[in-house]
Amino acid sequence: MNWKSRGMVATAASAMLILGACGGDTESSGGSGSNGDQVELTFWNIWTESSPQNEASKAAVERFMEENPDINIVQENIAHDQFKVKVKTQAAGRQLPDLVQVWPGAELTPLVEGELIQPIDDILDTWDGMISESMFADYNVDGTQYAVPANVTPTSLVYYNKDMLAEAGYDQIPDTYDEFKQLIEDLKAQGDIPITLGNKGQWLLQSSYISTIGDRMTGSDFLNDVLAGDAKFTDDRFVKAVEVIQEMAEMEAFNNDFNTLDNIQHRELFLSKEAAMMIDGAWSLGPIVESIEDEGNLGIGVFPALEGGDGNPEAVSAVTGTGIAINSELEGEELEAAQKFLESFYSEEYYTELLESDILVAADVEMPEGASDSLKRVAEIVNTETTPVYDAAVPVDLTDAINSGLQEVSIGTLTPEQFAKNLQDIVDSGL
Amino acid sequence: MDTVSKNKWPIIIGVAPALLIYLVFAIVPILISFYYSTMEWNGFTDMEFIGLANFREALGDPIFWQSLKNNLFVVAASVFGQVPVALFFALLLNRKLKGGKIFRTIGFMPVVISTVIISLVWGMMFNSRNGLFNQLLTSIGLESWAQNWLGDPKWAMISVCITIIWQFVGLYLIIFLAALQNIPEELYEAAEIDGASGLKKTLNITLPMMKETIIVAVILCISGSLRTFDLIYVMTAGGPGHSTEVLAMYMFDQTFSSTRFGYGSTLSIFIFFFSLGLVYLATLILRRKSVAD
Repeated sequence: MNWKSRGMVATAASAMLILGACGGDTESSGGSGSNGDQVELTFWNIWTESSPQNEASKAAVERFMEENPDINIVQENIAHDQFKVKVKTQAAGRQLPDLVQVWPGAELTPLVEGELIQPIDDILDTWDGMISESMFADYNVDGTQYAVPANVTPTSLVYYNKDMLAEAGYDQIPDTYDEFKQLIEDLKAQGDIPITLGNKGQWLLQSSYISTIGDRMTGSDFLNDVLAGDAKFTDDRFVKAVEVIQEMAEMEAFNNDFNTLDNIQHRELFLSKEAAMMIDGAWSLGPIVESIEDEGNLGIGVFPALEGGDGNPEAVSAVTGTGIAINSELEGEELEAAQKFLESFYSEEYYTELLESDILVAADVEMPEGASDSLKRVAEIVNTETTPVYDAAVPVDLTDAINSGLQEVSIGTLTPEQFAKNLQDIVDSGL
Repeated sequence: MDTVSKNKWPIIIGVAPALLIYLVFAIVPILISFYYSTMEWNGFTDMEFIGLANFREALGDPIFWQSLKNNLFVVAASVFGQVPVALFFALLLNRKLKGGKIFRTIGFMPVVISTVIISLVWGMMFNSRNGLFNQLLTSIGLESWAQNWLGDPKWAMISVCITIIWQFVGLYLIIFLAALQNIPEELYEAAEIDGASGLKKTLNITLPMMKETIIVAVILCISGSLRTFDLIYVMTAGGPGHSTEVLAMYMFDQTFSSTRFGYGSTLSIFIFFFSLGLVYLATLILRRKSVAD
């Protein structure tokens, strides 16, 4: 063998090594397959924190595996923010797991359009009479169902400390915005932070503020109209809603480090009684009830009515969650196993456990005896009327622009008019 | 020489594995980025060819220019902050100082601490309500100097840069110390015989002898600060507004958060050329200076 041919062999060998490595990689990240008699399904979710909801969800998976020893669910728990990035990246490489947790609206639609997940219409009658059509709607794209909702999450509740409000002479959140502003001034005068806010992640002003405040002004059809080209973000009503946020920031309703705290840190200010109010989603309810000294002191209300608004002044923005979608590549035995998993995962038992851990559920199951008063109060609020959350209703690039734009409005580097115009420009360029 | 030219194959075989890996993981992705940058693609559905529209959009995108400006600010802060400070401390520590080793270790510490921890700790120190800096200023009667360090667009970039400088001074300190130790003792002895004193020795022997090292440090500094991402991502996430947004972060957000893979690729192409240009410029300026000397 001369040098030349030896070299070619070596090059070919190293090439094969690399190709082989790549091949192995795809197989393992595809990750599914039947191992002997056992069907193995990979499942990604965000159940990293040891919250009661996550524990209940994980327990439901364990329960399923005990009942079905022939099916093995391999979970990968990934923290929320990283999860979303990972799913988008893996989806681009078409390497999603067999089962994947999905969010409604703007997160779900691209997965459907890319044909990465498959419909579950075949098994829907499992939940007849238990889950209403309106609850299913968030995970429905063009009449096809892709996941089952577990919980329903109002994103914009006004939590308040009853004692601190009483000290300022109020027994609840005022009904009108003008009175609400007076309350803010009164709280400031007695040395409290009126509202705690942690908007470092930029989505809180969008999810918990503009989703409800915007709806107060524009009514619930606005976003769909804008996306369809029948309305514009530059609409006076939307601009007014943004001005409300600007006004609150300017009158120093928030802790002054609100752009450097995250949404967990801002909860601490409320719990330590430095701040009298907190506008946040129902995801904070469990942690607050768990660590508050006296639950009787915790009040929950909604954002006050705005003058001249077209929306229901008592409505609250809400979204359903914890849906699990099935990879479109699954078929045969594995598909059956996956469907069986969904059917038994979303059981009455699971929903009851969620209620017990202060999570509002999408299914119509009886409120357990141990449910906290706060949860009953939130259930009351949600039963009034729910409206869409912005990030579930508009495409992701628009959501990003809303998130960062609202932060700029809050520090005064962008005017509400300019902000609205920027958003409309993005809508126009996409049409 | 003859043997080498006759038997090229062993050399090729030797280089091939490394070259292949480099090609597959470094060169090919750059080329693929060029391809993606001409596409409109959300990562899920089919790509659509849109020519140079992404490039046009980037050039007219104020946030892109803002991030570039911030990036250059970081580069400037690093080059004019890290390098001189590191050089100063290296010269100081190179003397036979009591406890020199301890100071060396302390100086190098930030380099081995995880960036996330640095960001979180400095984030707390900069906090406007109960952070170290504001409390310190208040306690010595300088309340008017207290700022909303990370929450105010005027101060956010400066605060972030202070942290970046603190983080990397140690790295250059060690590089400079190593270079200082390589300067032959004889030169100093000769200078002493000629009657040179401390400052003269530093200016006329130490610094010229370290020129090459300083050039390397500056280039490392430039390329490192163009890549800057993690520290700012954890400290401010680009906020408030876009006041601390840098190119790498804007590219990341556009690609993986807004799922605009095409536009994200376009941004990374710009980063590629900016880095190349800047490093070339730096070598040009510094080399010319050393040739002139």
